[in-house]
Amino acid sequence: MKDAKAGQQEVDYSRYVVDLAYLKGKAPEIAGVPTGTRLDELFFTVVYDEDTGRIVRKPLGGVPKGAVINIVGIPDTGKSVFAEQFAAFQAGNGSRVLFVTTENPAEFLYVSLKQKAAALDLSFKDVERNVVVVDASQEQSLRENTFALVKTMEYAARSRNVDVVVIDSITGLYEHREVMARQIVRIVYNFLKRFHLTTIMVSQKRSSQGSETAEAAGGLAVAHIVDGTVVMDKKLMETKFDVSLYGLPLGSVLRTIRIDGCRVSGHDTDTYIMEINEMGLIEIKEKLSDFVRRKSGIK
Amino acid sequence: MEVVKPVLPDYDQMALKVFMEAISSAGGLKKLIEYRNLTWLPSLAEAAYVVVLKNEATLTDYQIAEKLGITEQTVKNILKADTSKVAEYLQGVAEKVDEHKAGGLAKIAYEKLKAEGRLESEEVTQAEARDIESSLEIEFFWAIQTLRRIKGLDFPAGEGELKERLTGITIKGRRIEELLDKIGYPVKTPAELLHKLKEAAER
Repeated sequence: MKDAKAGQQEVDYSRYVVDLAYLKGKAPEIAGVPTGTRLDELFFTVVYDEDTGRIVRKPLGGVPKGAVINIVGIPDTGKSVFAEQFAAFQAGNGSRVLFVTTENPAEFLYVSLKQKAAALDLSFKDVERNVVVVDASQEQSLRENTFALVKTMEYAARSRNVDVVVIDSITGLYEHREVMARQIVRIVYNFLKRFHLTTIMVSQKRSSQGSETAEAAGGLAVAHIVDGTVVMDKKLMETKFDVSLYGLPLGSVLRTIRIDGCRVSGHDTDTYIMEINEMGLIEIKEKLSDFVRRKSGIK
Repeated sequence: MEVVKPVLPDYDQMALKVFMEAISSAGGLKKLIEYRNLTWLPSLAEAAYVVVLKNEATLTDYQIAEKLGITEQTVKNILKADTSKVAEYLQGVAEKVDEHKAGGLAKIAYEKLKAEGRLESEEVTQAEARDIESSLEIEFFWAIQTLRRIKGLDFPAGEGELKERLTGITIKGRRIEELLDKIGYPVKTPAELLHKLKEAAER
């Protein structure tokens, strides 16, 4: 079917219609890309178990391959720690990682990744060899111009044969123009999907936004566009009630993590306790409900 | 851990292409003279930049206005111009149109270039260049490609940065990477680079 207004380019709409069968062999496989944390157990697919004749959960063993996963949280919840841990874990295990930094200059990122590699007992030589960085923190033209950033990412992805991407943070691309958030995230997301790049993308929250929600700078634009959102949160023990409920000392901090949604695969919906250990690594512990029950006896 | 250098689009070149395509869509420069419509041209240049910066650089209307030294309302008028009404006006179907004519024309030209994949393509394709080269019995396209690719590069330049920019070009049937292995460094100027590459290719 063709349509044309006077003087305008004829558009062939038939190229936008695709038979589902045509996509066989083109669709990405359902698999997990490990993060090096227990989050890997919380994404799953369902399979038929011949022994029991029932449909059962099968953990993916990582974030869904080819998915763009948004990590959102207030400051000091562990977003960047998680992003760097994922990058070091993937690179240390042989994947090619593109790290787009809008916050931490590349020289400082180098130090962070070196520490993560040591804590994970991975060869830093492998990490060093497999990580390629786009440093938008030092390059205003990249932060201000999303098309230039995507061009640079495309160049890096093609020439360095990249498998996974980390963006810390996407908010750095629109922190002074949140009205553009939807457009900017869409451009970056479309690029990542075109190249089937599994991505961990960090988003910052604004002080007015509920700390436990998927909402981030730019509103719900990011959460609506990406394939899945993981919310990181923290609770400061500041009242007698907190101390009694969580069984933690006054002034201490309790961190949590929760998968808020994922359109690519099934996922656990509970909130989990999360710690950043003395080695600077994310450790996901028990469910918050189990923790509270154990500490206070409240069901 | 390698840090990739930014790849920055050439917006000046894109705006120029939109401008030229718009003139062509309007019937060519001669037709503009016949109809005494040359006063359009500054507006058309302005509109070409607005359309490119809006669609290719994710700038806000305010940022575009600041960059071009025009009002934000002018930017909005250009961007909201109805292309079909402007097209009817240009074809003589409509006698008068309230739209921003240059804006509509620039948008039509931009959409056409984008749909045909010509907005970011090289001015002369490699195949066309080969034809020209064989008819003139000289080789020059590699030099144009080399100069385009090193735009913005600081000289003196080293082997690594030159290889990163120039990989993929062929000179007299030989890969440029192979020739870059054979020349001396640092290369002080673009002219010296062309000279050294030419010498290496002829050795």
